[in-house]
Amino acid sequence: VTKQKEEEEDEDEEGALKWKENLQLKASQAFLRQQESAPNLRKLVYGSVVEVEDDEDEEELGGLFRVSRPQNNKRFQANDLDSSHFHPDTTHNWDLEEMLNSIRDCFVTGKWEEGQDAA
Amino acid sequence: MASEGLSYDGCNFFRQRLVLSTLSGKRVKIKNIRSKEDDPGLREFEASFIRLLDKVTNGSRIEINQTGTVLFYQPGLLYGGSVEHECNPQRSIGYYLEALLMLGAFMKTPLKATLRGVTNDRTDPTVDLLKSTALPLMKKFGIDGEGFELKVVKRGMAPGGGGEVVFTCPVRRTIRPIQLTDPGKIKRIRGVAYSARVSPQMANRIVDSARGILNQFLPDIYIYTDHMKGANSGKSPGFGLTLVAETLNGCFLSAEMTSTPQGQGDPVLPEDLGRNCAKLLLEEVHRGGCVDSTNQSLALLLMTLGQQDVSKVLLGPLSPYTIEFLRHIRDFFQIMFKIEVQKPLEDERKGGDKVLLTGVGVGYSNINKTLK
Repeated sequence: VTKQKEEEEDEDEEGALKWKENLQLKASQAFLRQQESAPNLRKLVYGSVVEVEDDEDEEELGGLFRVSRPQNNKRFQANDLDSSHFHPDTTHNWDLEEMLNSIRDCFVTGKWEEGQDAA
Repeated sequence: MASEGLSYDGCNFFRQRLVLSTLSGKRVKIKNIRSKEDDPGLREFEASFIRLLDKVTNGSRIEINQTGTVLFYQPGLLYGGSVEHECNPQRSIGYYLEALLMLGAFMKTPLKATLRGVTNDRTDPTVDLLKSTALPLMKKFGIDGEGFELKVVKRGMAPGGGGEVVFTCPVRRTIRPIQLTDPGKIKRIRGVAYSARVSPQMANRIVDSARGILNQFLPDIYIYTDHMKGANSGKSPGFGLTLVAETLNGCFLSAEMTSTPQGQGDPVLPEDLGRNCAKLLLEEVHRGGCVDSTNQSLALLLMTLGQQDVSKVLLGPLSPYTIEFLRHIRDFFQIMFKIEVQKPLEDERKGGDKVLLTGVGVGYSNINKTLK
């Protein structure tokens, strides 16, 4: 009975590990997908004016009352706090060595490009 | 030019709209200011901002409806001169100063503004940060020389305030175009750890913990401690830290953190504040670029108002505030920037994607300036 169980477990494990197959391939595909869909910044900033004005139609109830919709679904909050502070990306954990390594070359102590010198 | 007017909804990006209106001479109408809220209309600090704008201009027309939900502003001439202003303590002096930095060089006579209020709080860039980043940035555009200074005379922490800063700015006829495409490597980090109405030891504790993190990257770190006493320390207790990383090409990246105002929220330990602020600086380095995230819009404005020549600047990711500012520049000056994303090379360890903005200035010349 124990042998059977073990075998079953092995199979289970194999099943569970299936998602790990071709990880590198999947990752590279995902990366390429993301590259393709990298937002065109100019379009993001300047956009087309038509897109903004879409919530204009207002529903009427019994010809008397208008349905008032909260402005939450607007593209940006019109009455938000007016501040130039740019809040940090919360996914960055600066306790990790990996994160610290990602900016090493920004400092004079990091690696220099060829043809440049600390002097 | 003055016959056209622009219309906006809501109080967000309030200062951008009024500043750009003043510089372009276009009238602006802002409607629906907090119209759906229990307490509708303009806040005290916005009214205070309008009063400051009225002080530095001559002949501005400002109309506000009874509930304060609609504002009409017709800009006058930028006059400048000696101005004193009590900044409403709901927002720190940085809120008001950011606008003066944008307007300063375009006055008729050199500006000398004495601003009183809260010098350091958590919502806006503090005066220390603007002093160490915005001023060097403006120098790159040719706004410098004698009488270009920002001095913290008295410190005033939130919520009480009681601080005082003096900003003097010379007048320029034209603005020099810039080519800031390579920030260079960071050679040193400087900072100010300030404390007011608390033990001077607080500042030392902040310095130690911040250095602990930053020393992993650089040996050249110096953080000054600034402890103001007596009449110069304002009305509320508090402490904080401003860190600035300087690159070989003279670009400045900054981060800052201030203690929670007395009686609002959980108190912070100086050690935590120092560490978190150091991490914020690393975040800012990761974003990178030649201009730090707080001053992106100032740089873009001066590029817009430059001579009719190409200007280029490399920035980190655009902040939401900057994106809106770009839209407003298009509205007021009909200038659109070319925006390109620069991905870092594979073996480069220089943080995230950068954005290169290229634009041609409108050839703005300061007609207000008196001829000598």
